[in-house]
Amino acid sequence: MTVHQAQAGIRPPARPPAERVWRVLGAPLDPRTWMATGYLLLSMFFGIAWFAVIITLFLLSIGLAVVWVGVPLFALKIVCLREIARVERAWARTALGADIPDPYRPPERGSLWRRLRGMATDPATWKDFLYVMVLLPLGTLWFSIVTVVWSVAFSLLAVPVWYLWLPGHRASFFEINGHANLVIGTLVEALALGLAGLLLCVVAAWVSRGLGAGHAAIARGLLGPSPQQLARRVEALQASRARTVDAAEAERRRIERDLHDGAQQRLVALAMDLGMAKERLAGDADPEAVRALVAEAHDEAKRALVELRDLARGIHPAVLADRGLDAAISALAARSPVPVEVEVDTERLASPVESIAYFVVAEALTNVAKHARATEVTVRISRERERLLVEIRDNGAGGATVAHGGGLGGLADRVAGIDGRLVVDSPPGGPTVVRAELPCGS
Amino acid sequence: MRVVIAEDSVLLREGLARLLGEGGHEVVAKVGDGPGLVQAVDAWRPDIAIVDVRMPPTHSDEGLRAAVEVRERAPRTAILVLSQYVEERYAAELIGASAEGIGYLLKDRVADVGEFLAAVRRVGEGGAAIDPEVVAQLLGRRRCDKPLAQLSPRELEVLALMAEGRSNAGIAERLVVTEGAVEKHISSIFAKLGLPAAEGDHRRVLAVLTYLRG
Repeated sequence: MTVHQAQAGIRPPARPPAERVWRVLGAPLDPRTWMATGYLLLSMFFGIAWFAVIITLFLLSIGLAVVWVGVPLFALKIVCLREIARVERAWARTALGADIPDPYRPPERGSLWRRLRGMATDPATWKDFLYVMVLLPLGTLWFSIVTVVWSVAFSLLAVPVWYLWLPGHRASFFEINGHANLVIGTLVEALALGLAGLLLCVVAAWVSRGLGAGHAAIARGLLGPSPQQLARRVEALQASRARTVDAAEAERRRIERDLHDGAQQRLVALAMDLGMAKERLAGDADPEAVRALVAEAHDEAKRALVELRDLARGIHPAVLADRGLDAAISALAARSPVPVEVEVDTERLASPVESIAYFVVAEALTNVAKHARATEVTVRISRERERLLVEIRDNGAGGATVAHGGGLGGLADRVAGIDGRLVVDSPPGGPTVVRAELPCGS
Repeated sequence: MRVVIAEDSVLLREGLARLLGEGGHEVVAKVGDGPGLVQAVDAWRPDIAIVDVRMPPTHSDEGLRAAVEVRERAPRTAILVLSQYVEERYAAELIGASAEGIGYLLKDRVADVGEFLAAVRRVGEGGAAIDPEVVAQLLGRRRCDKPLAQLSPRELEVLALMAEGRSNAGIAERLVVTEGAVEKHISSIFAKLGLPAAEGDHRRVLAVLTYLRG
């Protein structure tokens, strides 16, 4: 419903005026105001802490770059930076309601050095760095503004109370050289100042909210993906969606073909055999010939059953839905002509993730059996934070590719469809490693 | 034998009833779901319950779960589970600690009427009937196993038939050899796998299945 409205460009109905006035005046009572204020006040202290850590590590690593100590220090700096950015994103989400997605490139695989280089050359890392550098001056500025507006507002708000309890009911402000520039002599004056304080509270609330929103925008720009990244992502998603649609279409055609060429042909043959048997029974034929026809029909029927069962399993194995990946992959392994060692270490996951992981393994094992001339295969499935890692490794001849339209190509599309990655590493001469990383939430 | 059938497809339920009737069994109750099966077994105390794995309401594995429940409530009732597909994992859950009076077969096996009726009789009398496909899966999983590699091809065949729950006579008939030859193969298999000689067919099936499940 909301989606339709948004697509049709219909605005939500206007609020009644009373509600709007209340929304403006009630800002000091809104928890969002206080979250934003807290954020702005604390951002200075975070700014100081992060700045100290990062700049120290950065300068030290540059200074010590000639000796080897600089490199691990630089690595430490990058790791700290990532963690700081992660904390800042979470903190901005909680306090400012700003949802900032991770902008990083997918992590490199392989040696520590490669992973480190991948992180160091990622522009997002350097934008994080910039954020930490600007957080210190910005935080200081926010702290000053917020402290001033709120303390003035609260002081004025306190004037009537102050006036009532003060001896002589007289309060003087801004005293310079014993001469008071502002003297409150009457209750009306005190109440007027109190009212001004109340109004200033509303102003302070909106100043805090505004600064909070401004900071959120800066954080989004520096800690989040760039517009180009977002545009590329939209393109990638469009392409992947188109391929997913194609893959589903191709899959339907394959199922139709399998049904026609397999089970249906067998059933035709069976019906024919039974028809002939019936004809012969009507005449007075040789019982031996009839028996042979019936036996043949019986065999055809059983073969049709086997084909239908295989076809159903190829569409979706029931054991996967009922008992999960471990049971389903063990069953796959037991059917493989090449010995397979299976290690599955994960609890039940969302069914699309389980299904894709299963078919990656199924396709990889089919390929191993068909082409690899391997004598052993290992399948490892494990959970690493919010990703499911699926790895199929064989000791065969290698040279496998992800051809578009091929079995692995179709799977790569399905994997991309849920934002995962499928990598095939198969140098001529082997070994072949098929590795899929599937995001699986938490 | 007195039989209860739990199967939600009317076509198959009536077909099974007719087939069992012609085979000389008495079908005392026909039900279409798991709770119905538990009630029918409580009411009729049949010799054997023939159960489909997939039944309403979820069409996943309620037949299996009902079978496990029946096993607890009426241990003397044998259970033969029929399924559209068989998986070693389900077999393991069904067999649990004892393979006595347990059968787990592909639905397709009904088509071989003689074999099927023999399996029903065997399970009803406290034996076991495990689908060859499950046994193949078990053997497939233990392929890298050293002791299994020592078995001769004939001994592997005998092992598979034993795991299916067949008696010596049944194995001999299947392989077209004498019962004496089968006995010789079996003692050789038990020696090579380091299994203690088990007396009686039931204990033997369980020993072999336990070994294969590792």
